[in-house]
Amino acid sequence: MDTFMTWLSGLFSNWGIVWKNFDYLLVGAYPQGPLGGLAMSIVMAVIGIFGAFWIGLAVGLMRLSSRRWLAWPALVYIEIIRGTPLLMVIFWFYFFAPILLGHAVPETDSAIAAFIVFTSAYVAEIVRAGVLSLPKGQTEAARGSGLSHTQAMIYVILPQALRNMIPSFVNQFVSLTKDTSLAMIINVNELTLSARHIYTRTMKAPMEIFLTIALLYFVICWVLTAFSRKLERGMSRYQSRETL
Amino acid sequence: MKMWKMSVLLTVASLFLVLSAAQAGKIDEIKARGTLIAGVKDSQPPFGYVDENSRQIVGFEPELCAALAAKLGVKLELKPITSSTRIPMLEQGAIDLIAGTLTHQIAREEKIDFSITYFPAAQKLLVKADSGITSVADLAGKKVGSAKGSTSEQNIKKAQPECTVVSFETYPEAFLAMKQGKVVAVTTDAPILLGIRNSDDNPADWVIAGEDIAAEPYGIGVPENDSKFRDFVNISLMEMWKSGEYQALYDKWFGEKTNFHIPLTWTMELWP
Repeated sequence: MDTFMTWLSGLFSNWGIVWKNFDYLLVGAYPQGPLGGLAMSIVMAVIGIFGAFWIGLAVGLMRLSSRRWLAWPALVYIEIIRGTPLLMVIFWFYFFAPILLGHAVPETDSAIAAFIVFTSAYVAEIVRAGVLSLPKGQTEAARGSGLSHTQAMIYVILPQALRNMIPSFVNQFVSLTKDTSLAMIINVNELTLSARHIYTRTMKAPMEIFLTIALLYFVICWVLTAFSRKLERGMSRYQSRETL
Repeated sequence: MKMWKMSVLLTVASLFLVLSAAQAGKIDEIKARGTLIAGVKDSQPPFGYVDENSRQIVGFEPELCAALAAKLGVKLELKPITSSTRIPMLEQGAIDLIAGTLTHQIAREEKIDFSITYFPAAQKLLVKADSGITSVADLAGKKVGSAKGSTSEQNIKKAQPECTVVSFETYPEAFLAMKQGKVVAVTTDAPILLGIRNSDDNPADWVIAGEDIAAEPYGIGVPENDSKFRDFVNISLMEMWKSGEYQALYDKWFGEKTNFHIPLTWTMELWP
């Protein structure tokens, strides 16, 4: 047992390296150089979540439309993206975007674009499921009271449906936050790549460094879920009685 | 259907536009932009790595690029690359040149061009001092670590077809795998191995072993078919050698006072 404890403490004896490089893990070379580390992960996640929410909402509503020219493109988009690994989408954006646009695209931008396009497809399906889960009477009553189809959607259906969607949204956004680590494959200096920079230079403490970034990812995701629980409570006043 | 044909036509047309735009000279492009964008390693001491105090990418190759940027009278921007991303990045124009331990290989001439050799390396093995491995022949049936997309990965398969090559993103990761017993040797260019060995807590535990598996002359990778830019890089390198600027830079990163001491025993190809 004693030898085990010595072995264990020897295994994690390099916390000094983590401490000395903690600012690099948090913000990268900023402010003397480009932003990196955890701050970069958060920036990518926040922009990704914001973009994916609105595009996903639009695509989801298109998918629900009875007009084929709206519904079909949405269906094709959702099915293609859902059948593709995120890593490949990131590569596509990074290596194909310059061919289509005619100029190089910064790797951070192409990673964020990939995150938005990827997550939007899932958000669209969440939106569709959320709207379909509402009782049909809601639409009928809204239309019956003289609202147009669009008005019924905006004022009656979506406020209720969006609340039901919150747990699924949070699930998707938490996984997006963790997936930002995939951007390291095209050299975006986010948290995981920052960690690699440190251990490839020092050649020490891989366990301490990876334990630290695991903890940082956990904290971010936990904050996200805590925030969503609060949001869910706040929005419960829009809930229709029937589904309570 | 007409819309569909139209969009295909537009895509093809835009592809041609892109291709013709790429024909403009790199030097003009760099000067107009005011920055030289150089692809360098960020996880490869002392060639290119993130410095602990400044938190910037530093190393032998970034300083070589700084000298090139100074000669052009432009600013330098460093972009991190890995062995597997560097050539596509140069091809698509995300970087102007590669100074990232890139071996000049005939097979690579198909996609990009190279400068003269600025660092002549040779591929070796890094093994545990008490492993008993002294040559490539001893690796039969064993696992060897290397990096994805590197020449070392291809060479070791040729030199010892009976070993299993395990490829990592970077060489330090391959070394960590060796420390944990996942591979018995790490193979790549000797200066990289020396850098890894000397960064360890107990350098004496590791030895660089074996014959030269392959010659690995490092050249600066430049875009295909832009001879003006390649001339500029070649002539700049030669000027640096003649003026002693190269030797001073070499001494700073590979001299006796450093962790990565390799005596300077070769001469750059110098055109009259």
